[in-house]
Amino acid sequence: MKRNYTTLGIGALLILIFLAILSCVQVRQSTVVVITTFGKPSRTLDKPGLYLKWPIPIQWAHTFDQRIQNFDDKLDEAYTADSFTLLTMVYAGWKINDAQAFFPKFENGSIAEAERALTGIIRSTKTAVVGKHPLSDFVSTDEKQIKFDQIEHEILTMVQDQVNQKNYGIKMEFLGIKKLGFPEAVTQEVFKRMTSERELFSNRILAEANTEASNIRTSANAKSTEITANADAQATRIKGEALAEAAKSFAVFQQNPGLANFLLDLNAMELSMRDRTTLIFDQHSQPFNLFQGYSTNLFTSPK
Amino acid sequence: MSDEHNHHHEERGNVLERELIRPRAPIAAPEPPTPPPDAGSEALAEALKSSFTIVKWIMGILVLVFLGSGFFKVEPGKKAIILRFGKPLQRNNAELLGPGLHWSFPAPIDSVQQIPYSQFQSVKSTTGWYYTTPEKEATGNEDPPGISLNPARDGYAITGDRDIIHTRATLLYHIEDPIRYEFEFTDGPRAVQDALDNALLYAAARFKVDDVLTRDIARFQDTVRQRVIELVDTNKLGIVVEQCQVQSIPPRKLQDAFDGVLKALSTRDKLHNDALSAANKTLADAAGQAAGITNSAEAERVRLVQSVGSEAKRFNDLLPQYNADPSLFVNVLLAQKIGQVLTNVEDKIYLPERADGKSRELRLQLSREPLAPPQPANP
Repeated sequence: MKRNYTTLGIGALLILIFLAILSCVQVRQSTVVVITTFGKPSRTLDKPGLYLKWPIPIQWAHTFDQRIQNFDDKLDEAYTADSFTLLTMVYAGWKINDAQAFFPKFENGSIAEAERALTGIIRSTKTAVVGKHPLSDFVSTDEKQIKFDQIEHEILTMVQDQVNQKNYGIKMEFLGIKKLGFPEAVTQEVFKRMTSERELFSNRILAEANTEASNIRTSANAKSTEITANADAQATRIKGEALAEAAKSFAVFQQNPGLANFLLDLNAMELSMRDRTTLIFDQHSQPFNLFQGYSTNLFTSPK
Repeated sequence: MSDEHNHHHEERGNVLERELIRPRAPIAAPEPPTPPPDAGSEALAEALKSSFTIVKWIMGILVLVFLGSGFFKVEPGKKAIILRFGKPLQRNNAELLGPGLHWSFPAPIDSVQQIPYSQFQSVKSTTGWYYTTPEKEATGNEDPPGISLNPARDGYAITGDRDIIHTRATLLYHIEDPIRYEFEFTDGPRAVQDALDNALLYAAARFKVDDVLTRDIARFQDTVRQRVIELVDTNKLGIVVEQCQVQSIPPRKLQDAFDGVLKALSTRDKLHNDALSAANKTLADAAGQAAGITNSAEAERVRLVQSVGSEAKRFNDLLPQYNADPSLFVNVLLAQKIGQVLTNVEDKIYLPERADGKSRELRLQLSREPLAPPQPANP
């Protein structure tokens, strides 16, 4: 009988395990489970843990990833408000926020199907939003003019509105621009413009450099002239001061101006006849008056 | 026979004993006698007994293996979180299991999720870069640039002045909130890369091409970094940005044109430096000349003052002699001075007047030989 109890116990445990497999559903963190009763969604389990349900085939458990899905749309062409052709591509983060609504909308709750639907919505929304804005709202060096964030927000809001209207059970968490571009033919034209701008820029740089260098030199020359002129002025002032200072000694000469003039004349004469001087004199000049009455080699006696 | 009889007797005794200790059934009718077990049943019972023993051992081993499979190792640079029936046991970063050996109930009770934690992660954005591969880039065997850019193939960014540049970035980050990073995003690195892609376009869209490439590189890179940080916060990516390296180049097709600008800038710098050098020399010369002029004036002042001072002193010395006999004094002094002067005079020509009293014609050649330059000193 003891063996029978053991056997029965093991059998009961196995049956319990089997029933548990059929009747228990485990909800992992970041997943959501929709319970369907005879194929109709009847309960949503969105908190992690272990739950009971009626066994298959009465109730089935459908598990969905509740994490944020990364989504990239395709590069699409649209016209801006000022008629530029602009290529845009966005990325988005979305998640299932109502699994009971999401489950029947897409076949077996397929993420790929949901993203296919999102692609269409985002494409039409992008076209509409791009058409409302001029190119300067996308790219501009003026911070007041550029509306990059606003454009992203407009697309996000419009996409969320449409998703809500269609009751997809999806929440758009974030959306941003991933690519901005011009059509290929336009890039060629942009290259030509950039090339000519570069050449113009180079020429302007060289012209400005020459002008600047010339200005530097001219300014230096002017400054140089000013410096020497100031020096001349200062020298004149110094000389004037010297004369004024020397003039203080002139009072001494007032005692006998005749003697003073005589002495100054003597000095002047000495200074003026230092080197390489040729002196021509006649018999009236002192001390050559001593020669009076004597002839020279220049003298020619009258015939 | 005797053994068999004894055996049967013992068997009956056991049965009787069991009957005695069994609780009595309320039925008063006597039980039929138990048929004696045969040899086949005995063998089967023995076999079953052995089998159960083996099964018990196997089950015991299986239970041990089952429990032993709950050990797991967390690698360095990672943290682990245990999900019990799908529910995290660790609710915050402090409770996460660090590197080392740990144990949890085996599946399906517990499951373990390992998360990169302290080690740096990196993502690279090439949404604004032309088409190439790391191998081609490393070997320098990239495709030549075309006359245009195919948007489906080549990446680029539009600048604020509507020009085109190529720009790419590498972002280094670490995961600050591993629970959110792991359980809120299907692909955390891709979400970070999307943010980096957006940041490059966002920054390029508000800068001029020359600012991005040469004039304001640091501010451009900082704008990219700030935008990434902003998106990380807004989208709650659970990471901390460590470093953001940005590389930008002009379109390869326009490389010569951009090089021309760089050459012009280089020439501008050279012209500027040359002009500054010449200006400095001019100003230095002028300063030297000015110093010479003022120094000369100062020297002249000293000389004049001293000269006049000495003349005054001499005058005072000579005045008493002059007053004693002015005529004699003048003649003596004049004769002395003339003597000195005439000593220094190179040519002295005496020109007496003609005997007939007529004027004499004198012709002078004043163009002298120039002074010979000074001879250099012999070494």
